[in-house]
Amino acid sequence: MAEQPVFSKATAPAALQPASLWMYPRVFATFARNSLVRDMTFRWNFVIESLSSLSWMLMNLGFYVLIFRFTDEIGAGTGWGKYQFFIFLATTTFINSVVQAFFMPNAEEFSELVRTGGLDFAMLKPIDTQFLISLQKVDWSSLSNFGFSGCLLVYSLIRLDYLPSVLQMVLYPGYLLCGVALMYSLMIALAATSVWLGQNQTLYDFWFYITNFSRYPMEIYRGPYGDPLRQVFTFVVPVLVVVNVPARLLAKPLDEQNWPLAGFAIVAAAGSLIVSRWIFQRAMLQYRSASS
Amino acid sequence: MCSLASTADSTGVRPLMREWRAVIATWWTILRICLEERLVYRGDFALGTLMRFLPIVTQIFLWGAIFQNAAVSGVSTISGYTYEDMIAYYLLTMVSRAFSSMPSLAGGIARQIRSGEVKKFLIQPVDMIGFLLLSRVAHKLVYYAVAAGPFALVFFLCRAYFPGWPEPLVMAAFLASLVMAFLLGFFLEALMGMIGFWFLEVSSLLFVYMLFTFFFSGHMFPIDMLPGGWKTVVDATPLQYLAYFPAAVFLGKIQGRELAIGLAIELGWVLLLVTACRFAWRRGVARYSGFGG
Amino acid sequence: MAIIEVAGLAKSYRVYQKKEGLVASLRGVFRREYRLVEAVRGIDLTVESGEFVAFLGPNGAGKTTTLKLLSGVIHPTAGTARVMGHVPWHRENAYRRRFALVMGQKNQLWWDLPAQESFRLHQQIYRIDPTTFDRQRDELVDLLSVGQLLGQPVRELSLGERMKMELIAALLHSPEVLFLDEPTIGLDVIAQHNIQAFLRHYQQERQLTILLTSHYMKDVAALCRRVVIIAHGQIRYDGSLGGIIDRFSSHKIVTLLFAGDTIPTGLSRFGEVLEESPPKVRLRVDRSVVADTLAAILALPDQTVQDVSVEDPPLEEVIAQMFAQVSERPMPEAVTQ
Repeated sequence: MAEQPVFSKATAPAALQPASLWMYPRVFATFARNSLVRDMTFRWNFVIESLSSLSWMLMNLGFYVLIFRFTDEIGAGTGWGKYQFFIFLATTTFINSVVQAFFMPNAEEFSELVRTGGLDFAMLKPIDTQFLISLQKVDWSSLSNFGFSGCLLVYSLIRLDYLPSVLQMVLYPGYLLCGVALMYSLMIALAATSVWLGQNQTLYDFWFYITNFSRYPMEIYRGPYGDPLRQVFTFVVPVLVVVNVPARLLAKPLDEQNWPLAGFAIVAAAGSLIVSRWIFQRAMLQYRSASS
Repeated sequence: MCSLASTADSTGVRPLMREWRAVIATWWTILRICLEERLVYRGDFALGTLMRFLPIVTQIFLWGAIFQNAAVSGVSTISGYTYEDMIAYYLLTMVSRAFSSMPSLAGGIARQIRSGEVKKFLIQPVDMIGFLLLSRVAHKLVYYAVAAGPFALVFFLCRAYFPGWPEPLVMAAFLASLVMAFLLGFFLEALMGMIGFWFLEVSSLLFVYMLFTFFFSGHMFPIDMLPGGWKTVVDATPLQYLAYFPAAVFLGKIQGRELAIGLAIELGWVLLLVTACRFAWRRGVARYSGFGG
Repeated sequence: MAIIEVAGLAKSYRVYQKKEGLVASLRGVFRREYRLVEAVRGIDLTVESGEFVAFLGPNGAGKTTTLKLLSGVIHPTAGTARVMGHVPWHRENAYRRRFALVMGQKNQLWWDLPAQESFRLHQQIYRIDPTTFDRQRDELVDLLSVGQLLGQPVRELSLGERMKMELIAALLHSPEVLFLDEPTIGLDVIAQHNIQAFLRHYQQERQLTILLTSHYMKDVAALCRRVVIIAHGQIRYDGSLGGIIDRFSSHKIVTLLFAGDTIPTGLSRFGEVLEESPPKVRLRVDRSVVADTLAAILALPDQTVQDVSVEDPPLEEVIAQMFAQVSERPMPEAVTQ
């Protein structure tokens, strides 16, 4: 690339710190810190939101405790007994709280940015736009479930009649991240469409309804309607892979049958990140900017 | 926002009649204006309504799996509900919630109190509660008109889950319980919104309310499933009438004498809440004006 | 090579007609009606380094769209542009580090946090060396006198103070080119004056290249020697401020002070009488006949003229007249001086 001509008599552009990828984690740390400071200034709200998240989880748990009074397994022969299912629940909560803490506030903000023209400012910055709009806000109150889910996980693991191997326990967080990646990709792809469709509450609801399917073990989707549904949500829009793979990994003994799906989960996560980024960049090309 | 002018008048029978007619005309205008306002947004409603049924799909599969396992041990009902009953129950709670849910009512009232907007109601002949009630009626009417299509479609597709139409008397009871569910939902939320006259932060109370409603109104599961001790607690609140009661009536889970008592209790709750609302309004306004707001 | 080179830049939008109602919306899925809005219709512009250029134009003329094109926020429909050798809409990080855009009444600072936190984020994103950053920030804060406001949440600041913070944020990374879109809109007179003084001083000292759009003549008159007038997405005039009057003003204002307490009657035959407060009269006289008119008035019997002044009409009036003119007339060529 040709040498950049210097145009102004002014002093040269401010000395740059050495270019490095460390900029991104550092900027993210600032985002996280700023969000925390902001959340703390509205302390009462923060407490309410934290309690709210926790309570939703407790209610869900209560619901399933109730159900397990009447049955000892969800689906005959599926292996999802009480404590296995609690592990499933804990997994759901881990993934959802991460998505809600780090990505949801930004996805909601994005269509607002498009509407008000605030996205212009994001595009002026010498930093990847997708990174900026995906991570600039952190909702710390959504992480309140994390601790409780951790306790639930440990409690259920103890009650299981087998102990997962070290391999399983090491792979588990990795697959949690795959799940988060899948959810994020879906979210950003939908958010990006607001560039074309304008602000749309229906879009946000759509995300919620689709990911709702991920909250249950894939085994429940069977029968003339269930089987095709399961195929679609595993291979086309892989939401079923999000919670099922890590939960199964931990709650059930290692089984050769599970490996193909686990392998697929990684491919799906990587693929969906690539696809969603492509969609996002197309959206940025088409961006029209709100009129002044 | 709809606003109106009062009509002055003198004493006597004919002037009294005139005044009544004027009041009715005024209320009719409010209703009409609010109806028009809502109709503009009808496009979004239909699609959103259909999507709201999506969680039912997962419930169908979930309960399918639960009952399948129960069947292995020869059990075919849970708390008196068969698999078909269970799905029908969830579909019916969507109907009862279409009547009893009042989005942003409490929050809106609290906000209007906080911002001082409530002042305009103090100088107009129609009070805030009455006005809000009418606007909610308008909102609901439009909603039903647009949602009737999607609802009918879904119910038709799922007709296999239903045990059939109930007898006329039970049907009447069902409809009555729905209307009362609307009133119950309205006055309950309105009462909570009016806490805003005394406390600045209503959101914490609202949050507790929403929590309890979700779990104990039958929205999440039929109340029958709760063990004895819990059931007593729930019976002490009107929450079950917001979702559970109408659905259970339609399915024939509550019959005869029990049904009559249930309706009576529901009516009792409605009257109690209306009174409480009036009381809270008067006291709240007095306190508010005392501050010279 | 000029720092900004624009050739044939154009931008049009399709604005879709949004219909109410379900049936209409459904129909809209299959076939949408739209109209074409040509925001910018072929702009040619050359700006040298260190110039301070004003963009004037009526609402909807395309000023802001042009700035957005040059910032790379939107892609053009046709034409080319190069700023400091970069193509703006390629959005290269190297380009983005060298310029800044400030939009009046639009905030990029974090609303609930003190400005200094936003500045710190800026430092990280623009990778500004800490010593340079401190020096820049202190200098800017000092020049704009906002030192004690740095720790206050941005939402608590007044409009003028917020604008100052926005300017600081924009200049922290020492950009060579600055785009300002109505920076003083909505501000009170004192705030406007402060910001104008700051911009004038800073531009001269740093020799920044600045493109400024504004409605306010005071901004333009105080800061810019070169004015570009845009209407209907095209440049109608590109030259000095004084030249506008010469080109677009057709009248002069003649003020006469008569001896004694009375003024002669029938002055309206010489021109439009703007003000009559004896012994003073103000007339608007067609430019081409000013000399003859004066001669005629001075030659009036029974009247002595004590004082005469001939002035240009106020700049605002000329501009407003010109906007009206160019809005009606269909595309004469641009005038460049």
